Amino acid sequence: MAGAAIRQGREWRLALPLTAFFLAFFVAPLCLLISISFQAESSMNGVLGLNQYAAFIGDRLNLEVLSDTLLLGVKATVLCLVFGYPLAWLITRVSARLQSLLIFLVILPIVTSVVVRTFAWIVILGRRGIVNDVIMALGLSSTPLRLLFSETGVIIVLTQVQMPLMVLPLVTVLQRIDPNLASASQALGAGAWRTFFKITLPLSMPGIIAGTILTYTACVTAFVTQSLIGGSRLLYMPMLIFQQAMDLQNWPFAAAVSVLFMISVLVIVGLLVALSRSRAAKLYG
Amino acid sequence: MFDLTRRHLLAATAAAAGASLLPRGAFAADELVAATFGGTWANVQKQVLAPYFTKKTGASVVQSPMLATEQIAKLTAAKGGQPPFDVAMLDEGPNLAAIDAGLVEKYDPAKSPNFASLSPHFQTEYGPAITMQAIGIAYNPKTVKTPPTSWADLWKPEYKGRVGITSLASTLGLAFLLDINRLEGGTEASMEPAFKKLKTLLPNLAAVSANFGAHGALFQQGEVDIGVQNFNFAEELKAKGVPIEFVRVSTGTPAWKTTMHIVKGALKPELAYAYIDSQLSADVQSAMQKSPWNVIPTNSKVAYEGLVASKIAKSPADLDKMVFFDWKKVNQGRAEWTQQFNREIRV
Repeated sequence: MAGAAIRQGREWRLALPLTAFFLAFFVAPLCLLISISFQAESSMNGVLGLNQYAAFIGDRLNLEVLSDTLLLGVKATVLCLVFGYPLAWLITRVSARLQSLLIFLVILPIVTSVVVRTFAWIVILGRRGIVNDVIMALGLSSTPLRLLFSETGVIIVLTQVQMPLMVLPLVTVLQRIDPNLASASQALGAGAWRTFFKITLPLSMPGIIAGTILTYTACVTAFVTQSLIGGSRLLYMPMLIFQQAMDLQNWPFAAAVSVLFMISVLVIVGLLVALSRSRAAKLYG
Repeated sequence: MFDLTRRHLLAATAAAAGASLLPRGAFAADELVAATFGGTWANVQKQVLAPYFTKKTGASVVQSPMLATEQIAKLTAAKGGQPPFDVAMLDEGPNLAAIDAGLVEKYDPAKSPNFASLSPHFQTEYGPAITMQAIGIAYNPKTVKTPPTSWADLWKPEYKGRVGITSLASTLGLAFLLDINRLEGGTEASMEPAFKKLKTLLPNLAAVSANFGAHGALFQQGEVDIGVQNFNFAEELKAKGVPIEFVRVSTGTPAWKTTMHIVKGALKPELAYAYIDSQLSADVQSAMQKSPWNVIPTNSKVAYEGLVASKIAKSPADLDKMVFFDWKKVNQGRAEWTQQFNREIRV
């Protein structure tokens, strides 16, 4: 009994290993990255300055690449939400057996390697791919459509690949909504759509926001998909960073680009979190 | 027996974590780690060089496929500590960058008996050239009926949306741009002519691959019908049954040396010398010259045969006629060209 009392209030120590791991392998490298970004010269001779940041902002191409990347994330995330929400809703409405089957199908993309998945998509979207074969067989177009190496292709693939990140939080939240609420709404005379917009949608907002944050951050940083499906003619931030760090060995510039990219994504995530707080306050406050 | 206490569990976890953090080489006494390139090179060195080396020394080798730039990044990151590999394999541009950054050792000919058999211009101070890489045009003979003869063919209107090139991340893309520049009257000091010419190629481009690995797949999947390609890689694809033909361009074949180096601070310098020396031996080089690899030999005791003789060079004198670039200047301009390339080819 006495031992148990002493142990009480010390559970936080269970988090120590993970914290140490995080400090050593995430926080420390991140600090290193930030400090490298303030090196003025690509040779990293110790002279400090904001030169790398100025160089990034001074070139319009870089700013266009940043906005293209952030927009790409928006487009893919919206599609994930549009397709993912009905799927998540369906998953909460079917029998238990069908439910596990659907969830298995949803997480299937996560359990295959991203490189394998992306190469499969190259085969599907290619000039001689399945999609183009079907389109041409149906006579919808006489020449193959350019799906690979186009933004459309990148968005299609990102939507499929990142779908689980949207669907799983949505399922969790939708399952927790008391079905009596919808019945009550309908008993009081609201139609199916009104019930959806007034009851289900607002209550599922935390899931939408969690899914959006996860999907968005995964889409904008999806280096493999962006570079293999997009090719070199579509340039997004992860490729820009890779180019500078690996091809050109300009680590300070690459670090500065990474920091700016991280800040941009954090701002967007922050806005979404703020939105969810205000929604929660409205609903439960 | 299975009385696991918290302490045991902790100890086991710590041991497992510790083992994974141990520096390499803590277990294997006689294991060399050598960098290689992906694709053809990883295959040929695994099948020809590794067994030869092991037979000669009794040691084993781990061959790790990496881009040249990736090798430099890893060596730079490990500077002052233990390098992650003992032997580097680099193309000419990254080779000079590695020497400048002090990442590789001077090569001591006394420790490498086969070094003396190389033609003099392959006996470079910081590590011997193990081959020449030559580039030209590859095309799909099923869809391209008239075999191309020069780079100008890539600009033909009939190839609208069917041409493939690579970004400047690969030496292939860089050498192509440099050669276009040379033909348009530019030099390594001014690349404007190349970029002006590149702009007119845009309507014909089906794809600009982000890297060399992705480039090979384009031909395999019929995404492109014609484009720049490396001799060895095109011939290997053809041997695999991909409809692809390689031709040299009439204006001279752009080529560069690929070299091997002892990494500064290498953990197994003796084995590293033995490994590079094996790659220089007549036995290994003549085996590598056979199809499907067709690696151009640098050991003067190995006569040119097969596709190397019929498509690239009949004698060492033919190699001298190839087109070479000033990679020192290329390294200076590369950052600026990469950004300009990004800008010009952007959709």
